[in-house]
Amino acid sequence: MLALVDVNNMYVSCERVFRPSLVGRPVVVLSHNDGVCVARSNEAKDLGVEMAQPWFQVRHLQRRAGLVALSANFELYGDMSNRMMTLAAAYAPRQEIYSIDECFLDFAGVRGNLTLLGRALRAQVLQWTGLPTSVGLAATKTLAKLANHVAKTAERKPGSYPSQLAQVCNFGELSAAQLEAVMRATEVGAVWGIGRKTGARLRDGGVHSVLDVMRADPVALRRQFGVVLERTVRELRGQPCLGVDEAPDANQQIMCSRSFGEPVTSLASLTEAVSGFASRVAHQLRSQRSVAGAVQVFLSTSPFHRQDRQHSPSATLALRPPTADTRLLAAAATRTLEAMFRPGHRYVKAGVVLVDLQPHARTAGEPDLFGDDTPQPATGRDRMRLMRAMDTLNQRFGRGAVDVASAVRAARRPSSVARQEQRSPRYTTRLDEVITARA
Amino acid sequence: MYSHDGPAQVLKPAAGGAARKPRSSVAFGFGSPADDSGVGRLDLNDILIRHAQATFLMRVAGSSMREAGLDDGDLVLVDRAITPLHNHVVIAIVDDGFVCRSLVTQPHDVRLCAADASVPDIVVSADTGLQVWGVVTHAIRSLPV
Repeated sequence: MLALVDVNNMYVSCERVFRPSLVGRPVVVLSHNDGVCVARSNEAKDLGVEMAQPWFQVRHLQRRAGLVALSANFELYGDMSNRMMTLAAAYAPRQEIYSIDECFLDFAGVRGNLTLLGRALRAQVLQWTGLPTSVGLAATKTLAKLANHVAKTAERKPGSYPSQLAQVCNFGELSAAQLEAVMRATEVGAVWGIGRKTGARLRDGGVHSVLDVMRADPVALRRQFGVVLERTVRELRGQPCLGVDEAPDANQQIMCSRSFGEPVTSLASLTEAVSGFASRVAHQLRSQRSVAGAVQVFLSTSPFHRQDRQHSPSATLALRPPTADTRLLAAAATRTLEAMFRPGHRYVKAGVVLVDLQPHARTAGEPDLFGDDTPQPATGRDRMRLMRAMDTLNQRFGRGAVDVASAVRAARRPSSVARQEQRSPRYTTRLDEVITARA
Repeated sequence: MYSHDGPAQVLKPAAGGAARKPRSSVAFGFGSPADDSGVGRLDLNDILIRHAQATFLMRVAGSSMREAGLDDGDLVLVDRAITPLHNHVVIAIVDDGFVCRSLVTQPHDVRLCAADASVPDIVVSADTGLQVWGVVTHAIRSLPV
């Protein structure tokens, strides 16, 4: 059995932990430079605010409906994410962090009532961190993700599903008839990996619910829609097809992480690993023609080696201006790593996540009037050509053929100041920004 | 460093006073620190923080808790994993703000009391309930040097 654990409206939930006045109000979090909504509270969703909707289109709701807009505070979200992930990791033999706010847990070999375990996990994360989560349990990743969708929707829209499926939904303990009812009530577009276009084409072909697509002929689906949809349908039928690194990309972020075969203790080995991860995510970032506004790095020791000292830090560094340059990203990631690393710990996992993604075109060639004027090693255009050349070489000779030398440390130091008007304090990462309690 | 759960270990010379060579595996009662390469310098994170994922720092503003050992400007460690009990110093949410007070549970009501007797208690009403954000476990005061 697998579980998909994720934080409900992560960025908004993080803000609410430290600003109780935001509870119950419509809140959105805006991307870098306050352009688009990247997170919405349930109240904001109910007002009709869409994901990635430009702020100017919903600004009028401030006055009319009391909508509160906050600038993204990735340092805070990164730290809260780390707390949640570390707690979740202790519940299963294997954890795969999928994005800043979601992870898969693999319960292979675990006996006992997993629904109760899921409820215990949810309660602990809520008490310890203040973050509300949803847990979906099922036999495959696609099903676990769908169970999570049901858990969340059942809580947010009472009546949409049986109320006992709210918050923690375990497909494994539903009868065939109950499961069929759930699949019939769920729209096909809610399935992980079925995008807007495929969803529309399926509906044109008379496939509306998840049940419809599960009952469709996989071979015919493959002919019409390709192998990806066929695999999705097999997963929905309970046949695992998605391996560790084969998950569709999460929205708004790119991640690369790995568990090490043997525990790693030296900074040099970690630097090498993290630098490699940074190169991979940078490549992926450029292939989708985006730039990243922040980079998160995390490390962890094993919660199952109880005799080991535990240290599972995570830190997020804002990039100014946003960039897709491997050297800058690798430099930021390794600097962050150096700041977190503690000698004497046995690390078993590390990862690099790019967040605050935005299309490259918007910032291309735009002079950064508010940035520091450190001379850059090459002009923007040369840099893009260099990166393209690197990508081509890596494609031709295999990933890692050309990489960034550890000279990255000398690369330009990205400023951690972003142009953000409504950013909340970085309550957990800056001593001069911690909460004040009246006494 | 002592564990949080067990009693403190006390070292005493062996009975009879003979110079017995301590066996590193038992002499200290902490496992085997002498030949464990993993032992490092005392770390305040280990000493002060019981639940790392649940612990947050806050700054105290005001002096109504001075008699309880918390003064204006002190840094406090707040642990959300600890269930708040009678006489704990807690961080509570009052009027959407964070307030540091002692939690006093009585048969008929629950109140938040300052150490300064001239400061009125905050009595928790039955309909709003009490929102305790976390329990204060330590205060850190910087001295002038």
